[in-house]
Amino acid sequence: MTGATSAAGPVIAVRDLVKTFTRDGRTVEAMRGFSLAIAEGEFVTVVGPSGCGKSTFLHMVGGFEPVTGGELLVDGRPVRGPGPDRGVVFQEFALFPWRTVAENVTWALEIAGRPRAERDAVAERLIAKVGLTHFRQHYPAELSGGMKQRVAIARTLAFDPRILLMDEPFGALDAQNRELMQEELQVIWNDTRKTVLFITHDIDEAIYLADRVVVFTARPGRLKADVRIDLPRPRAIEVKKTPAYAAYRNHIWDLLRDEVLLARREEG
Amino acid sequence: MARPPRWTGAIVPLLLLALWELSARRGAAPEYLPAPSVILAQMGAMLASGELLLHAAVSVYRALSAFAIGALCGAAVGLAAGTLGAVERFYEPIISLTYPVPKVAALPIVFAWFGLGDISKIVIITISVFYPVYIAAFFGAKATSRVHIWAARNMGAGGWQIFRRIVMPSALPQLFNGLRVGLALSFIVMFVAELIAAQRGLGYLIAFAEEQTRFDIMYVAIATIGIIGFGADRLLLAVRRRALKGQLLATAEAR
Amino acid sequence: MSTAARAARAAGRGLVANYSVFVALVAYELISRSGLVSPRLIPSLVVIAEQLWRYTLNGDLPYHAGISLYRAFAGFLLAAVVGVAFGAAMARSRWVEALFEPIFSFGYPIPKISLYPIFIFVFGLGTGSKVALVFLECLYPIAIHAAAGMRATDRVLIWAAENMGASRTQLFFRVMVPAALPTLFTGLRIALPVALIVTLLTEIIGESRGLGYFITFASASFEYARAMAAFVIVAVIGFALDRGVVALRRRIVFWQKDTPPIA
Repeated sequence: MTGATSAAGPVIAVRDLVKTFTRDGRTVEAMRGFSLAIAEGEFVTVVGPSGCGKSTFLHMVGGFEPVTGGELLVDGRPVRGPGPDRGVVFQEFALFPWRTVAENVTWALEIAGRPRAERDAVAERLIAKVGLTHFRQHYPAELSGGMKQRVAIARTLAFDPRILLMDEPFGALDAQNRELMQEELQVIWNDTRKTVLFITHDIDEAIYLADRVVVFTARPGRLKADVRIDLPRPRAIEVKKTPAYAAYRNHIWDLLRDEVLLARREEG
Repeated sequence: MARPPRWTGAIVPLLLLALWELSARRGAAPEYLPAPSVILAQMGAMLASGELLLHAAVSVYRALSAFAIGALCGAAVGLAAGTLGAVERFYEPIISLTYPVPKVAALPIVFAWFGLGDISKIVIITISVFYPVYIAAFFGAKATSRVHIWAARNMGAGGWQIFRRIVMPSALPQLFNGLRVGLALSFIVMFVAELIAAQRGLGYLIAFAEEQTRFDIMYVAIATIGIIGFGADRLLLAVRRRALKGQLLATAEAR
Repeated sequence: MSTAARAARAAGRGLVANYSVFVALVAYELISRSGLVSPRLIPSLVVIAEQLWRYTLNGDLPYHAGISLYRAFAGFLLAAVVGVAFGAAMARSRWVEALFEPIFSFGYPIPKISLYPIFIFVFGLGTGSKVALVFLECLYPIAIHAAAGMRATDRVLIWAAENMGASRTQLFFRVMVPAALPTLFTGLRIALPVALIVTLLTEIIGESRGLGYFITFASASFEYARAMAAFVIVAVIGFALDRGVVALRRRIVFWQKDTPPIA
């Protein structure tokens, strides 16, 4: 379901976003004055040093963490809480340990009361897509980290959200599976043109998947750079070997390295 | 959502106490519920006469000395069993077989063997305390991270050093859980043993009060046991906090 | 290898693994027969077995055992229902928690059994007072563990469920309850032996029925072998109950490995 770009503006609009955490009287500023606009159907990846607030930002868009200051609008309306319109793939997988892979994948459909036949069909399709057909009836405890992550991705795709919020979804995968999943995600996105906000540590991955790469500063997080990736789509995995690609990689790594060093210095 | 103030916890108990006091004053309370004010007065009197302290001291002595013995044995054997396979193979079958058995049922037999004096009370309390402490120490020692031991060996530590510096600190959090259970248990068993057969002590005091139908004295004894049990637990928690200073920071307790 | 040989092998292995138990039993029997102490005080295992046999057959031991078990279970089940309800309420509402949690955490180390004499006056000397005390004693660990289990639900799981559009009811029954089950079971595993212990204790203190009474009466009559036979029954019951809880946990909390019995 891909609606026309709303004439009213971006799907996700962030203006001077501020986020502070208070714990036992101590205040931590996670983000300060962050601004960003994401249009419908855009694939935006986010990179930044550890602890810069990337995950916090994603949690705020997802509606799990309240906004401390500034504006965060989805479809022109302030974010009030979580909901299936913004599907999240969590870094920690968040699978329900007491349900099988298949049951986890179709959980959203189950609580919405969808009929069994429909759920089974969706489960079969998506589980095959992430390459876990033989493990349909297994429990999360029996899976490796990478497998659990694939189940988490399948689960989010199952309820077909308009916006995808993905927090290092390929982090636990080995290099080969990682590339496979990147290609797979590209294909899915090309078909459905969802709006995607994708956090990663891997610059290669960020460039390969994105229309734009957003670079965060060290804490408190702000926008350091917004790099438009002008590589033609659809992108074959071989694009990673092109000189244009390498240029992007060097550019973004330089931007990032300053911030990483800054973050290191902060830690003493 | 507003956080309820700290003192909310006192509301229900205070309300109940107030209700109790009022209905007792009106004469609406049953015979076995004398007014709290009466109980307090009696407690004051017994404290002044030194009677209460005497009985309390006897009970505490029994409970704590037995607790100390049982805890020491339990910890020593448990730690050993968690570290040395031979010790584990000897003790584990016996302990796991007898653990679910209520040792309390042996009370009459223990009285028969050791008489009705202090010895039998201490024996039964010691045995009761031994189990939870042993189990906690055993599992605590067993759960010592293999990687930690490897790191220690890598740095040249020998057997005893590893035990003292790696296994024991690792097992300490679990051990304290066991000690807490054991401590509460020691007061319970002490109380029951005194109820059945004693000449002095808080348990005896209750039996005496029951005989004389002096409910006020009964409540004084009950309240005293409660205060002592509570106080001992708090003390243990304070010791635990000091002993586990660094380790607790990583857990939810550090909030 | 024939089945007989295989069985013999297994038995042999069992003997070796549990050798300390047999050593203890043999040592006891030797002490009993040595004449060091009066054989009345330390009866031979044979005599104990004989008493066990006799009093099981004539129905005495099963009768008293049944009464004790009934009391223990009645109090335990009551505590389970009320405890889970209380724990859930405390986990869901900050106000309920603020009002009642201190009663639980402050009251925990207080020996509630000291209230037993009061209970006798309220409920009479029979089953009522015992069930009431068992209920009170079991309520604490169950409620505390139920609340802790539900409170400690991994934040990410709740977020994932909310993300998928779960209502509050769905969130509670489909996520928080299953997530709380492991901790809840620990509470139940702690409370069940407590139920048995408290029942026996109250029967020892004063009663005319139940295993606690049986042991006390036998000891008072200097029939120590009989008392020990009853103790064996108590041991078997305690052991069987524990195994039962472990088996139940394995079925209901099938996704997690078992944890040791100490809180």
